[in-house]
Amino acid sequence: MRDVIVVGAGGGGAVVAKELAARGLDVLLLEAGPRHADITEEWTHYENDANNPLTGFLRFGPSDRSQPAWYRELPQNSFLWQLSGVGGTTQHYFGNCPRAYPGVFAGYDGADRDAYDTAHLFPFGYSELVPYYEWVEATLPVQTAAMGRKEEVFFRGCEQLGLPVQTAKTTTEDSYRPQENAILQPGGAAGRVSGYEGEPRLLYPEATGCTFCGYCFQGCSHPAKAPRNLIAKRSTDNSYVPMALTADRWAPGGRPVTLVTDAFVTRVHTEQRGGRTAASGVTWREGATGDHQREDAKVVVLAAGCTENPRLWFNSGLPDPNDWVGRGYTDHYFDWIIASFDSYTGSSKGTGSSARSDWPGRGGVMNVGLPPALKAFTMTFSDSGIRGQYGNGRGEAGPWDGPAGRLMGPELKDMMMGGIDQMFCMLVMTDDDVERQNRVTLSALPADEHGSVAKVEMHQRQRSRRTVANREFLVRKGVEIARAAGARTVHRMDWPPLILHVQSTMRMGESERNSVLDADGQARWVDGLYVADNSALANSAAGVNPTLTTQAVATRTAEKIFTSRFGGAAWVRSEAPVVSTDDRVAQGMDDLGL
Amino acid sequence: MQDKVVGRRAFLARLGVLGAVVATGGLFADRAVAAVGLEPDGSALDQIVEDLQPVLAELARDTLNGLVVMVCPGPDEYSRAQGTPRPEDGALEARATDFMIASLDGFVPFPDQLGTALAGGLASGLEGTGITLPPAQAALPIGQVGTVDRALTTLLRNDATLPLSAVVAMLLNLVATQVDPAAVHGPFLSPFARLSYAGKCAVFERLEGPDPALVSVLDSKAPEPFTGTLSGMLRFLAGALLEFAAYGSYGEWGVFDPDQKTLSEQPVGWRLTGYQPDGVVQGWDEMIGYYQDRERVSA
Repeated sequence: MRDVIVVGAGGGGAVVAKELAARGLDVLLLEAGPRHADITEEWTHYENDANNPLTGFLRFGPSDRSQPAWYRELPQNSFLWQLSGVGGTTQHYFGNCPRAYPGVFAGYDGADRDAYDTAHLFPFGYSELVPYYEWVEATLPVQTAAMGRKEEVFFRGCEQLGLPVQTAKTTTEDSYRPQENAILQPGGAAGRVSGYEGEPRLLYPEATGCTFCGYCFQGCSHPAKAPRNLIAKRSTDNSYVPMALTADRWAPGGRPVTLVTDAFVTRVHTEQRGGRTAASGVTWREGATGDHQREDAKVVVLAAGCTENPRLWFNSGLPDPNDWVGRGYTDHYFDWIIASFDSYTGSSKGTGSSARSDWPGRGGVMNVGLPPALKAFTMTFSDSGIRGQYGNGRGEAGPWDGPAGRLMGPELKDMMMGGIDQMFCMLVMTDDDVERQNRVTLSALPADEHGSVAKVEMHQRQRSRRTVANREFLVRKGVEIARAAGARTVHRMDWPPLILHVQSTMRMGESERNSVLDADGQARWVDGLYVADNSALANSAAGVNPTLTTQAVATRTAEKIFTSRFGGAAWVRSEAPVVSTDDRVAQGMDDLGL
Repeated sequence: MQDKVVGRRAFLARLGVLGAVVATGGLFADRAVAAVGLEPDGSALDQIVEDLQPVLAELARDTLNGLVVMVCPGPDEYSRAQGTPRPEDGALEARATDFMIASLDGFVPFPDQLGTALAGGLASGLEGTGITLPPAQAALPIGQVGTVDRALTTLLRNDATLPLSAVVAMLLNLVATQVDPAAVHGPFLSPFARLSYAGKCAVFERLEGPDPALVSVLDSKAPEPFTGTLSGMLRFLAGALLEFAAYGSYGEWGVFDPDQKTLSEQPVGWRLTGYQPDGVVQGWDEMIGYYQDRERVSA
């Protein structure tokens, strides 16, 4: 019997696995997708090869890319961007690590306390989470982003608006700043030299940290030749997983995790213990063979994501007495602003996004750089129909140019031919309310080899008044930033659900009436069953990128597991974290041939 | 009986199937059964079903040619037909149609049963009304129309041989003839490809809406447990078709060698946008420094 089984090696599960491995527990980490151990061989910088949701190496599907991706039912105009594989969604994230604003935690008493989703607060205070934020920030590590040209454009717009600059980790007012991100700062020739394949100055160790290559969304593999734990972007396949695999090297008494990939968990097992339903283990299906394996454990941690956790829950027949499993799916009610400039913006170069503005009670607006196919996708994705042809019941006008809607045909081509590096894009991330109606259920469509598949319902046009008002506010601020920076044209896309910053489908909460997890991250109705990914978040984390908050909460959950289940002592407030770039991690990975 | 067959004839024409059968010829060549208009026996029907598949594949390609130039028009005949020709390379030069067919038929994780439900809705619903068939289609003997109808229905019921690209094409063509009944006539195999750019947009307006009349018929004809799911699927499908057409037009798929992981030439989308003019980089000379020279912030 294992001490702990963690289901999912993405942004949250890898954190729990690493922390508990460091404490010497016997941890089995199961991942449905591939390992991507040799990113030099397995990955390219081509966006279809990487990001095609059907065939890309960063898709939600089996390790064998000749096999179809796994499907989910999406009964609306929407796009669900899940990833399988070690690192999960952090494989393609931009590494942004803002903290959630204090107003989304219990006990907040600021003047703006009523501006948040007060019905769905985190069940503890912001000050409770700060030590865990600090622990994660030191481990990844999180650093202040270096600036490229597209960041300069963004800052110029914010300066023109007279916004103050934020110089602290905690957000307290409307402001702008470079991102705090999990991307190693450039060193040596990185960011200062342009070069194609084989440019020796851009190989490690002549270059360290971010080389400004522009491929964040395609998975980070630079600087080339760097040890895995010194790859610039700190996705968990570069940070927490290498630490988990080498826990015996850097943690006194540490014990390396057992990582099994291509292992799709299909069932959580329970037994009756002391009159309570308790988790006892899991069964998974090996993708290569189709064989099923079962192991037992004292504790099971679900970290398969906002869509797959509820699916697994339902397929396992676990209890759901208040009908909140799978509900409250938040996605930051994204919108997108696309501007064109007469001058160079560097939109396809550098990090995915290294500048942001924060609007407490509203959400955030950040710049985003993308390669051409993803940009074209972005500009054809709308709830407002085809611009200039039909509005699909929307197509609002505002301070942007003309009606919102899909750019297509000659208009899209003209925009693209204006030059990818004269475009400028911003993502609007709304502080959206947790809403029961947005949810995961089991689809009536035929099951796949892992059981009934997930159906994700997002009721885009029935969002709460606060959510809608927040998005409208932020879109207007984004347009102001673009115009103040000198944009020639500004378009609003009016995105349908692009289900990517996903949160809260297994939410922890103050009340047992509308939450699945208690304040420790443990399922209210299943003893020894925890959830430790974005789905555990109590709300949309104020509209900031959720990964850091997930990782802080997961660290806290790991500590709760260790102290309450294994009689151990807490460590976050008493020890100093080891940074994931530590030489011992690199040496351990080298010894393991990884 | 006669009215029903006439209705089926119009329906098959609106799907684009009848026009494609006539235009490609040969489906009934050397088929004695067709010549005399008798009910085909099992083996003859099997053969006709087999013969129909490449016809549907051509129809799908033609229809998707008409789709991809919506997002990236170029110097091709489909862009000219929709009224937006462009001198620079476009979606067809980027092989976006091949991308769409490969994606739809090979990789869309769409349960066969769902595709079949959609096809079943198409095949069993919507009697054609109010359109005038071109002479070649109108002249096809009733026996042959019935044979095409049976062959198509057989094909649609057999999910193993059901290419999603063909189902999508039939859906687009059906709605195209709702938007403009005259689209059953003209160049190309596909009624959808014959529409103007605005007409094609009107097709997507009905799909995205989605058109209640279309949905109610499709939903009512779909078997349980799919009743009621098709309207949501139409919304998803309408969006995904446009977004994938854009993604395929501006990405590298058309010139990518998956075995070598190299490009045979610069992708159309890269040339149009000025992306990576000399190929894949290891890094850019793009770092300005740190904003206000601040490399770290306080807690």
